[in-house]
Amino acid sequence: MAQLFPKKVNFLPFLSLVGLGLGGVLTIFLAWYYLSPEFTDVGYAPVQPVEYSHRLHAGQLGMDCRYCHNWVEVSAHANVPPTQTCMNCHNQIKTNSLKLLPVRESWATGQPIEWVKVHNLPDYAHFPHNVHVAGGVGCETCHGRIDQMEVVQQVSSLSMGWCLECHRQPELYLRPNDQITTMGYVQPASFVERNLERIREEGIQPPTNCSACHY
Amino acid sequence: MIDLPLLGQEPAQGAAPGKAPKAWRSPEAFRRGQSAEALPGDAHEFAADAAAAPSQANRRQFLQVMGASVALAGLTACRRPVEYILPYTRKPEDVIEGISQYYATAMPFRGVLSPLLVESREGRPVKVEGNPEHPVSLGASGVFEQASVLQLYDPDRSRRVRRGDDDSSWSNFVQAAQSLAGPTVVLAEPSSSPTVARLRTQLAARFPGLRWVTYRPEGDDAFALATTALYGRPLRPAYDFAQADVVVSLEGDFLGTTDTNEVANARSFAQARTPERGRMLRMYAVESHYTTTGGTADHRLRLKPSRVSDFAAALAGRVGVGGAPAGPAFGGRDAAFLDALAEDVRGKRVVVIAGPTQPAHVHALALRMTAALGGLGTAMRLLDTGEAAAPPQGNDLAALTNAMRAGAVQNLLMIGVNPVYDAPGALRFAEALTRVPVSIHVGHHIDETAAKSSWHLPRAHYLEAWGDGRSYDGTLALIQPIVAPLNERIDSTNPNEPARERDDIHSDVEIVNLLATRADAPGYDVVRETWRTAVTGDFEKGWRRVLHDGFLPDTAFAAAGVGAPGAGALPIPARPESGVEVSVRLSPRVLDGSYANVSWLQELPDMVSKLVWDNAAYMSRATAERLGLAVEYDSGRYSVDRAELAVGGRKVELPVWILPGHADDAITVEMGYGRQIATTRAVKERPGLLGRFNTDFKTDMYWSGPLANGVGENVAPLREANFAPVVTASVRKASAGYTLVTTQEAGVGSDMNDRPLILEATFDEYRANPAFVKEREVEVPGGGLWDEQEALWGQDRHPRNQDFYKDNPYNRNQWGMVVDLTTCTGCSACVIACQAENNVQVVGKEQVSKGREMHWLRMDRYFIGQDQDNPRMAFQWLACVHCENAPCESVCPVAATYHSPDGMNHMVYNRCIGTRYCSNNCPYKVRRFNWFNWTHTLPLQVQMQQNPDVTVRSRGVMEKCSFCVQRVREVNDRVTIEARGIREGEVQTACQQACAAGAITFGDLNNAESAVLAAKRNPRRYDLLAELGTRPRVSYLGRVRNPNPRLEPAEPKADVAPTPATERDDIGGSPDAPATNPAPAER
Repeated sequence: MAQLFPKKVNFLPFLSLVGLGLGGVLTIFLAWYYLSPEFTDVGYAPVQPVEYSHRLHAGQLGMDCRYCHNWVEVSAHANVPPTQTCMNCHNQIKTNSLKLLPVRESWATGQPIEWVKVHNLPDYAHFPHNVHVAGGVGCETCHGRIDQMEVVQQVSSLSMGWCLECHRQPELYLRPNDQITTMGYVQPASFVERNLERIREEGIQPPTNCSACHY
Repeated sequence: MIDLPLLGQEPAQGAAPGKAPKAWRSPEAFRRGQSAEALPGDAHEFAADAAAAPSQANRRQFLQVMGASVALAGLTACRRPVEYILPYTRKPEDVIEGISQYYATAMPFRGVLSPLLVESREGRPVKVEGNPEHPVSLGASGVFEQASVLQLYDPDRSRRVRRGDDDSSWSNFVQAAQSLAGPTVVLAEPSSSPTVARLRTQLAARFPGLRWVTYRPEGDDAFALATTALYGRPLRPAYDFAQADVVVSLEGDFLGTTDTNEVANARSFAQARTPERGRMLRMYAVESHYTTTGGTADHRLRLKPSRVSDFAAALAGRVGVGGAPAGPAFGGRDAAFLDALAEDVRGKRVVVIAGPTQPAHVHALALRMTAALGGLGTAMRLLDTGEAAAPPQGNDLAALTNAMRAGAVQNLLMIGVNPVYDAPGALRFAEALTRVPVSIHVGHHIDETAAKSSWHLPRAHYLEAWGDGRSYDGTLALIQPIVAPLNERIDSTNPNEPARERDDIHSDVEIVNLLATRADAPGYDVVRETWRTAVTGDFEKGWRRVLHDGFLPDTAFAAAGVGAPGAGALPIPARPESGVEVSVRLSPRVLDGSYANVSWLQELPDMVSKLVWDNAAYMSRATAERLGLAVEYDSGRYSVDRAELAVGGRKVELPVWILPGHADDAITVEMGYGRQIATTRAVKERPGLLGRFNTDFKTDMYWSGPLANGVGENVAPLREANFAPVVTASVRKASAGYTLVTTQEAGVGSDMNDRPLILEATFDEYRANPAFVKEREVEVPGGGLWDEQEALWGQDRHPRNQDFYKDNPYNRNQWGMVVDLTTCTGCSACVIACQAENNVQVVGKEQVSKGREMHWLRMDRYFIGQDQDNPRMAFQWLACVHCENAPCESVCPVAATYHSPDGMNHMVYNRCIGTRYCSNNCPYKVRRFNWFNWTHTLPLQVQMQQNPDVTVRSRGVMEKCSFCVQRVREVNDRVTIEARGIREGEVQTACQQACAAGAITFGDLNNAESAVLAAKRNPRRYDLLAELGTRPRVSYLGRVRNPNPRLEPAEPKADVAPTPATERDDIGGSPDAPATNPAPAER
């Protein structure tokens, strides 16, 4: 019986084996990247019911984050402000702006504005803002340059590995408490030494065990 | 499944063939222990069908659907679902999102107020605790207080005013109320409210000849009747057990959940029973039903109710009070008990407490004995409530129903009562109600009475309304609303002028005020008007103070200035003829049915029988045999006969339950079951063929309407018109094969198997050797006694000295707990508190029968002793014991259960893949697996109760006690910000907080000052199953009893030495068999 396959195809089994291996590696790589929050969540910038511009308020006008998110130092939640906070100014400023119509409607009817949640941690992960702010984690560290965002978007993956990067080496991320809400804060050259000293003095020990966040 | 022989199944552990077990969980377990027989299925740790498939679908169909689901799910899973943030428009002052607020208020309970502190999150009440500043509660609470928060979110509560069968509105009722006239009767629940009392006089002014009848479905307050006869006015007993030497309970269930002063009683009783104080109260109980109070007693005698009365008379004769003993003389064990008791009370300070099944003359006798034995004025005080003397309500109700039938009642207002359901059958109330032209029902549900009334007014829950009243000790307290009536509709058709249309829900105060004054005033104004006289000084300031504190100090009732009672003239009821004495009691779980639609309470195992989702006819083994009633047991499942109880042609059918220690020739039945509530909520049909993959109807308690419907049987038809708590019934077998479900049956883990789970000693033994637990300690496999091994939190092995945890801040605290088995009364408030705090789900009767209940914390009840009909009882609190050397952790393939640096064993739900290896390997059987997604079928309104700080578990993950880690972490965060350490007592677990007896101590073992460390060093402390080397963080303090040496001669180590089998050959023979117990006094 004649040979069914010519000799020149002998390399095919070898090639398919190599291809299978590479393909497997590629699949793992693709899943690793495209299914991770790094890809799925970073850059998430949903359309909000009100065209609120952080760039204008926090950037150009220089309002402090805590004017609106005022309980961030007290509560686990960094509260989204009530309509009342908007109306503090906007019952005088831009009272006829079309962009503010939903705000005025909310104020008149008592119906809340339905903001779309951008930074959405899973329900089984507990994140207290107050402890982090008190410990010297700046707003910018996790939320990015909010003062440059027309529409708020997620800049960090909020994955557990990302949390642990800081929990394991807080000295690389902390800043003085008077700079918490500063946007575009530039760490001085000796900031690691400064932070290490603070960590020693204040006994800052970010927990890395499961039940620190998951319960 | 591979059947492997179980460790410890061999008789090597001491269970020699033919040996009756020392402690046992049910008559069935006793029988098996006696015959050394293991039934098929019982060798397994879990119920036979614990892992049964959830739906009727076969494997192929299942795979088809799952394949399609996975494919479809894959397409949509690119991003998580969008969530929204809805901030306030106008933020209420003081509300900070994410931070709990606490308000003082009070819960009306059987005519008194229970002072509370309510935790509110963003405006919704999520947890109820006792008011720590109030002298009655001191921070503790009972099962009903704990469960009342779920009652608020009951989706079946009525929301609309109804006229006949149609929806109406509050304004319609206001109009109708203004024109009411004619003979009017109010049938009201007992109330201590000064506002209601004030309005009552106004109502009488509007309706001349008004009759106000206070209605107690359980029957008269016999103590009030007794004191009325003795002193001319009703008085209320208050106990300080620490001042007493002996307490004698004649059916007195003062530690039971239905007692109006249970919390204070349990605390006082615990203080009197703490052996470290050097003296210990001794308690005797004589009762028909086995109650938790009887289980706590040192000696207990079972007698049917009429014989308890005879016993009271006999005892009175012995202590020189009262006349001739009634009834036949006592013999045998009963006489020995009486002799020993009569001798023991001599020269001691004694309190005698009669209970609800006893007529007033026995209460009077008990009071006179207390006075004669020096207990009156010391250990027992009589409080002057200032109430007018009320005649027995049976007369009132009979007169009322007669007047109703005769058409002499024009208007009938029923506040918080449900007489169509729970009035005695002999009264035929429902029929009389149809003759009343205007009947107004005020209640939480469209219940049995609402369905037959011409008006139904939805009543505001106490967490939604203003009100007031007095706590048991008389302290004036305010009820303040924590939340507006749920389902308030906001009509926003005109955005410029939001018209808020209030729903129809109103409080009793508002409704009575409307009827009395014709004015539709808010409850706030009505209550404030009353309080203007109560608050002295600046009213606004004083009012705000009361609102803050929850009560007005120094308003408690004064002790009545009365001396020893004389012999009052009280009627002695006729001795019941032959027949079975059926005593009707309030259910310790759902009371008179007003808590029947609270799922937590339906699934709370009965404190004694451990039955769930049913009421039963409790009787003794001998009685069941005599009546030809059987309880069959097979593979963890009970199949019981149903008995028909008949009184004067009125019949009730109930499943039979054999309760060890129940009196012969008597049956105990509980009220509160067999409800028929109508709901306006859309209820779902059971899915048809297409819905065969839909298992929701199996997991949704609320699927087919109010969950109380169809649970158990209503026993009210049995009752006589005089509300007598005991009736004589004829009993016959009606049918067989009814399934009753208990929680302490399946599984080796819930049996003692002769392992020393509960270590006990008498007070004398304790005084001789406070460290009695060590004598009975078993050796740890590694060698040496457990106590000699170094604790894992000791210096070398402290987490701070270990690499992985050395930088973790939490290692500064090492959490531990100690549970005192001496003071625990088994009331189960901790079980409900845990459920409320930790979002523990309810699974329903069918699922409990498969062993799938979710309770993180269970209260095990054991019968102790070799006399099957007269066992003692012991309770054991059991949740995860947080082993330092945890068997669950080493078998988890994904490290979903692990040890935290602060010494807690934790579940990481998001890691768990549901292998259930941990549960298999847990010797304490405290892990619970989510067989279904219980939460997703919960009505939204019920979900509102859930604690936002605790993850809601999904299907397929394991869960268990977390030591209330959310409370620990909250304090961890707080102290980090404030740069300080955790103070002693700053973290309390939910169970600890609820416990009135203070039996649970929790705290930081690293804190040298902590109470928990002191408790761990208590010589009575032992660890459960220490021989396994698990090193639990939860320890127990051994149970100390104070038996009378005459009734229970000291037998050093008698209960550890195996007794020869021949000695109890005849146990389980005929019920009339002579005493066979080696300890003669036990029988």
